[in-house]
Amino acid sequence: MIARVFVTAAVALVLAGSAAAACTHPKTSLAYLEGQVMCPTCHTTLDQSDAPAARRIEVFIQRRIDQCATADAIRAELVANFGAGILAAPPRKGFDLLAWWLPIGGVLAGAALLGLGVWRWSRSRGEEPETAEPEPPLDPDEERRLDELLARLD
Amino acid sequence: MTARLKLVGQLAVLACLAGLLGLLVWRLTHQQHAPRVGASAPAFTLRRLDGSGSVSLASLRGKPVVLNFWASWCVPCKSEAKALEQAWTRYRGRGVEFLGVDFHDVTGDARRFVAAHSLTFPMVQDGSGDVTGSYGISQVPETYVLDRHGRVVLHLAGPITEAPFAREFRRGLAQAVQS
Repeated sequence: MIARVFVTAAVALVLAGSAAAACTHPKTSLAYLEGQVMCPTCHTTLDQSDAPAARRIEVFIQRRIDQCATADAIRAELVANFGAGILAAPPRKGFDLLAWWLPIGGVLAGAALLGLGVWRWSRSRGEEPETAEPEPPLDPDEERRLDELLARLD
Repeated sequence: MTARLKLVGQLAVLACLAGLLGLLVWRLTHQQHAPRVGASAPAFTLRRLDGSGSVSLASLRGKPVVLNFWASWCVPCKSEAKALEQAWTRYRGRGVEFLGVDFHDVTGDARRFVAAHSLTFPMVQDGSGDVTGSYGISQVPETYVLDRHGRVVLHLAGPITEAPFAREFRRGLAQAVQS
């Protein structure tokens, strides 16, 4: 009886080893995919969720990893099962492309506005002495009265 | 030139604010609520869980329908499964259709659940949760009973095995059969 158990365990070990060795590409990992897949019931990524649905999806991913499925294949299977919303990142095509370009456009527009503001501010500071109105010259009458006043002070 | 630039900037900010306001209004006006008793049940077509084609709610028109929303990861769904199967075997002879809607579930898990609980009524899968959302489902199990005209007779947000729901479920079924 004990011998039979040992033989069964040995066969299981050999089979598990051969299954792992059968992978012709580097295996992906649950940790890598967890941040890319959403929990459908709680709308956070799997690594931030303890919901039962998230746990079941993790089990599914781990099982497929053990079967040597690639990350792309696992993502495709999840999309076929749950729809595109299961992926944390939107697809890079069609209307969803906006989700990728809008933030980049926003950052560029913000940087342009900031640059423009800084440029105008530095320009206005440099021009300040030039824009100051020069004192109008005194006419002869005023100059004479000023001389009289100064003479009195002496 | 400067004044024109300022105007363009102000218009851009205003456009952004209008866009955000539009998004908020759209979100508020498109929130999904559970259909009320007497209202028509939202139409849908979903693929069968066993992969053999699809089922549309419209194809069941003319018969009372029990729509049960469930998932394999839902603990109360396990305790409810047996009661649902018993109700199905009891009422199918009276022309009542039962349809299980599995949502947010891994297909393999859902099939194992059906086999483990020996469920024989038709099952469809709503992986994306779009249909489930149109029924205002926030947690499973939830059950709708529809009359022959596709109108909601009863909505139970919880297992039909719970004390107040068990009686209401029977009453709802009776009402749907008489419709």
